[in-house]
Amino acid sequence: MRAYSASSEEALRARNLLKDWAGEGFLTEAQYQRMEQETVCDLRRTNIFLRIVLFFFTVLIVTAAIALFFTTFLRRPSEQITGIFLLIFAPIAYAAAEFAVTQARLYRYGIEEALAVSSVAFLCIGMVFVLLESHYPRPAGMEALILAAGAIASLWIWYRFGLPYAFLAAMLFTVWLPSHWTSSHSAQHLAVAAIYGAGLIAIVAVRARYRFTYLDQTYSIAEALLWLGIYAAINLQLSSLELLPRLWNGIERPTDFSNPFYWTTWALTWCLPPAVLARGLRTKDRFVLAAGAIAAVLTLVTNKPYLGWPRHTWDAMFLGAFLIAVALFSRRWLAAGPSGIRHGFTAQRLSAKDKAWLSTGATAIGFVAPQAVTPPQPSPEFQFGGGDSGGGGASSDF
Amino acid sequence: MTILNRLDQWKESGTITPEQHAYLAGLSRGDPFSVFFELNVLLYAGILAFIAGLGWTITTWSHQLGDVLILVALSAMFAVCFWYCFSRAPVWTPAESPSPSLIFDYVLYFGCLTWSLELTYLENRFHVLSGQWDLYLLATAVLFFFLAYRFDNRFVLSLALSSLAGWFGVTISHWQSHQDATYREYAILYSLTAGAAGVILYLRRLKPHFLGTYLNIAANVLFWALLSGVFESRGYGIWLLALLMACAASLAWGISRRQFSFVAYAAVYGYIGVSSVLVREIHGDDAIIGYFLITGIAMVVVLVVIARRFARES
Repeated sequence: MRAYSASSEEALRARNLLKDWAGEGFLTEAQYQRMEQETVCDLRRTNIFLRIVLFFFTVLIVTAAIALFFTTFLRRPSEQITGIFLLIFAPIAYAAAEFAVTQARLYRYGIEEALAVSSVAFLCIGMVFVLLESHYPRPAGMEALILAAGAIASLWIWYRFGLPYAFLAAMLFTVWLPSHWTSSHSAQHLAVAAIYGAGLIAIVAVRARYRFTYLDQTYSIAEALLWLGIYAAINLQLSSLELLPRLWNGIERPTDFSNPFYWTTWALTWCLPPAVLARGLRTKDRFVLAAGAIAAVLTLVTNKPYLGWPRHTWDAMFLGAFLIAVALFSRRWLAAGPSGIRHGFTAQRLSAKDKAWLSTGATAIGFVAPQAVTPPQPSPEFQFGGGDSGGGGASSDF
Repeated sequence: MTILNRLDQWKESGTITPEQHAYLAGLSRGDPFSVFFELNVLLYAGILAFIAGLGWTITTWSHQLGDVLILVALSAMFAVCFWYCFSRAPVWTPAESPSPSLIFDYVLYFGCLTWSLELTYLENRFHVLSGQWDLYLLATAVLFFFLAYRFDNRFVLSLALSSLAGWFGVTISHWQSHQDATYREYAILYSLTAGAAGVILYLRRLKPHFLGTYLNIAANVLFWALLSGVFESRGYGIWLLALLMACAASLAWGISRRQFSFVAYAAVYGYIGVSSVLVREIHGDDAIIGYFLITGIAMVVVLVVIARRFARES
């Protein structure tokens, strides 16, 4: 059912690993050349930059083509007609994506991805026009149907083409579904967590069969996203629409939840990150580990708002010191093991990709936010000071 | 056939030694599993959070804490960081040199951020240079360039380049339309200076691996500056010409050096610039949509040809 054969994807994975190992000096150049010849596959790939640009231009072409169709053949169409034609274009875009994969053998090339994504977009927008915009009053239950269709179509794209962001899109469609089933906010949070939980159980059950294969990473990303989704659903501070003011002030709490529910979710925000981290460590899964770490940091950041305690200016310092301490302790503990390895973990670099990512990140982050890392030019009215005790710095000029 | 099966085959055929087989098979199974990247991200995030909290605390409580305490604390942190780096740094070499330890780069980075914080505090409290803020930025840029080259640190090089950009009057994140003309001149001057410095240092073999950082930053600033000129309602012809020349240079560099980020810059910035000019001259919805359809297809065809000829592998 996947668009690519297992042998092709395994060959691609092998080529990536060989390139990485050769870059780290685990293979000689002669060995690499010989082994690479035995992992030839017919899929066409490109690098990440051209992939992004090709995605952008393909979306432009598809959008322009449909706009041209409407302006040429359908002057001022009704909403229903527009929707019907979009619903016709959805399978056409999908067929084009399939054609690009099966005939042109494109793999993560940007073009087939843009076509597949466009097909989901046309499906959802078309359904909106046909089922909602052309009816007054709007029929009940149709919005949920559109969201469900979007989620299912995105899941199919993820499964068929292996695109991780399609899985994320399916999760986002799902988030809004429970609001059409119940008006209770508590029930909505529970429903989202339950849906993601069911998805997680399914993914965990399926991925055990594909350990050490090319599919492992696909399922790993999906599992990590589901863990994060469950965490976001149970952390009432995160999933609140008033997130930023609440995190900033740290003294308010949502009032539309019962006390038992509110404090149960607070307890769960402390229980879930260690559980995710433990699973990530046990399975040596980089993405699940990252999900656990992100959830742990979010728990620390949202704890004060959860408890209704005021935020202090030095909270970020403590958080930073804690993160640094964890990193340093982990490194020292791992380095003290035989050959720098403990329980199968090491702090040493084993992949050239790590270095490349850090170099790219150093360049990008250092320049994208120059005002955060260099002395900012002060405005004439800028002054240090203010923020007397009790004001939490709210009156400060900075 | 999984990678483990392939490794078995390569061992049997004598392509790899049994020791290599054991090690590579272990790596494929995540044994050992490297958390190098995760620890680096944790350190980086920790330092940023700490500095943000420190800055927030100082600005909020400066009256209560007092100038002496703040300056002593910041100076102590700054001094300890640089003492650590200078005492543990390996002998300087113009070639790429590995970091002596995982935390070394981050201690240096932390020291640089502390320096920035202290400088900001000093100027705002005491006006030592009587508002000559440019001199602070220039001095900071010079210091950061020295540290980046001394300790082979890309984080600090990025800080140096952003400080230099600040000195040139460029603040990318606060680009304001009414100041485009002033910003544009400084931005172009900055990008040419940074790009030329990167190339000269590369040719002199002084940390040649830094070239990519220089060129990526210089290229983006240059393209933004030229695009802002192309978007002007009058006198945009010269900017369009300059943009096309920059695109051609970026494309040639990207293809010849297999650095496809430059191909992407040329394609995207060039397309936006040319389209913004042509669309002004095209009238009617159909013609504009047709323009995007035809040029979009042309761009995809050209990019696919480039990808197939030059960029088959990631």
